Amino acid sequence: MTAALLVQSAVIGLSIGSIYILMALGLTLMFGMMHIINFAHGAVYMLGAFAIYYVYFQWGAPYFAAFVLAMLLLGAFGYLVERSIYRPIKGGVEPTLVALLALTTLLQAAGYPVFGTLDKHVPPVFSGTRNVLGVMISVERLMIIPIAGALVVGLYLFINKTRIGAAMRAIEQDKEAAALQGVNVNVINGLAFAVGFALAAAAGALMAPIFKLDPMMGEQPLLKAFIIIILGGLGSIPGAILGGLILGLIDSIVATALGAEPAFLLSFVFIILVLLWRPTGLFGHAL
Amino acid sequence: MPSNARAATVFVAVVALLIALPFVGGDYYIYLFALVFINVILAASLRPSLTCGQLNIGHSAFMCIGAYTSALLAKNLGVPFEISLLCGALLAAVVGLAIGYPSLRLRGVYFAMVTVAFVEAIRLIASIWVPLTRGNAGLSVPKPSLLGMTLATRTSQYYLALVLMLIVLVILYKLERSRLGLVWKSIGMAENLAQSLGVDIANHKLLAFTLGCFFAGVGGAFYAHFIRFLFPPEFGFLLATNILVYNFVGGRGHFAGPVVGAVFLSLLSEPFRGSPYETIFFSIVMLLTILFLPGGLITLPGKLAGLRRWRPTSGTYAPPASA
Repeated sequence: MTAALLVQSAVIGLSIGSIYILMALGLTLMFGMMHIINFAHGAVYMLGAFAIYYVYFQWGAPYFAAFVLAMLLLGAFGYLVERSIYRPIKGGVEPTLVALLALTTLLQAAGYPVFGTLDKHVPPVFSGTRNVLGVMISVERLMIIPIAGALVVGLYLFINKTRIGAAMRAIEQDKEAAALQGVNVNVINGLAFAVGFALAAAAGALMAPIFKLDPMMGEQPLLKAFIIIILGGLGSIPGAILGGLILGLIDSIVATALGAEPAFLLSFVFIILVLLWRPTGLFGHAL
Repeated sequence: MPSNARAATVFVAVVALLIALPFVGGDYYIYLFALVFINVILAASLRPSLTCGQLNIGHSAFMCIGAYTSALLAKNLGVPFEISLLCGALLAAVVGLAIGYPSLRLRGVYFAMVTVAFVEAIRLIASIWVPLTRGNAGLSVPKPSLLGMTLATRTSQYYLALVLMLIVLVILYKLERSRLGLVWKSIGMAENLAQSLGVDIANHKLLAFTLGCFFAGVGGAFYAHFIRFLFPPEFGFLLATNILVYNFVGGRGHFAGPVVGAVFLSLLSEPFRGSPYETIFFSIVMLLTILFLPGGLITLPGKLAGLRRWRPTSGTYAPPASA
């Protein structure tokens, strides 16, 4: 592998890693508060990408308007899922996980009759290439990094500087105590669903112009996000960011050298080793 | 809940009907019910793990291991079906042990996520190891044999499936009724309490999971020689979810739950098998069951009787979720 190829894979890994981070952050936030894993995250990513396809490409809205609309719509959908699935099950972890699995397969399968069986493509939003350390990288991929970075910073400020964020942290530490202090646990959980779904939608919306669109497109990013949060430790936001960067780089460099399938198998072996060596991940809390 | 004698009568009657089926039904029903038997084996083999409160969303991976092992041994080395089936099941169990050991010591969701990723890992191995598995071109598999005789007709394969299913069900039922089954149940109901009473939680979970993998391997091995064509994408996430759905829709509170779930869903989804509508149907039934009938179909007769007689139904056991 030449130096140029290495730089190119690293930059692309950084942009893919940013997408993984957006996915993993929502998962880890929801896990921290509700101890559930949102299996529907991949399907929401897919819906975010299709929202771009219809709103931006078919109906001609500006890309950023379509982007914000996708986040808002799917955020509202997240709130609705909390209200209609998570809340009625009353915290039973297993039934909730299975219900979210069923929601995933429903959204994926319904995608075929609704969106059609042919792969869809969204034309590039940002054209041209830019010289990065002597390698040409498409602006399309480069732009993912600052947009995802802005969303991560926004999430950080939201969780650490706002009252709602404080309520989320309170629920994460002790749900009952938070409720006794006047935190409306149901509404805040609903907002966590909304934030998680909106971030997954953003990830899908960023990838829409780069990959082909089909109803199953969310599975790979979901699996990658699982690997990241196992690596970084469930419930840990710094862990998700670091895990996302590590996996993005491994993924891109190994995939360039050996192909995408060995890259996935390698990352799977990697998490099994991490679980053997450090069961709670790099930043995980004690169980 | 029916008494033991009533349950035994129902069991004998159903088995008698299934034995009689090839004499009344045509080839289509023989084929369809053999597929249902495979689904029953898969659903029932997930139950020990679920009883311990472990959400295994990767059961199709172990079925896949059993299927490919048995198929390749029979095809390339001419190993008899009885032996190749056992080898497939054993390999599935060994791999299950290797995956379960690091992930079962942790909280349930870690295990659930590892199993999901494992489905993808196995599917990829089957797709890219082309010299061995022929990858996505698919692998043709010889017919099953028994004591050196090839079972060429669908009817003979049907009876083989029926016998295999009954053996698996009897073993799993005996296990559930044994001391071991009680320990599993205690882990599922109150993990910390069980541990405080001296139960070795991690090893019991690992045993339940490994046994489940073994029987998934049995189901997979028979599937390979019955369908006679293996195609890696068939063993994906969707199949694993379906196996889980059989258990939840049927009901987790009773041994018959996964059996009822597998039969009910396999037969009802038959008109749209293989199309997206099958998955849509499964998902909607699943969501409705969890939201409105949390104990599964198995609790439905009790609930209906309770409504008619206007008295609360006596407690049907449903394992609580473990945190």
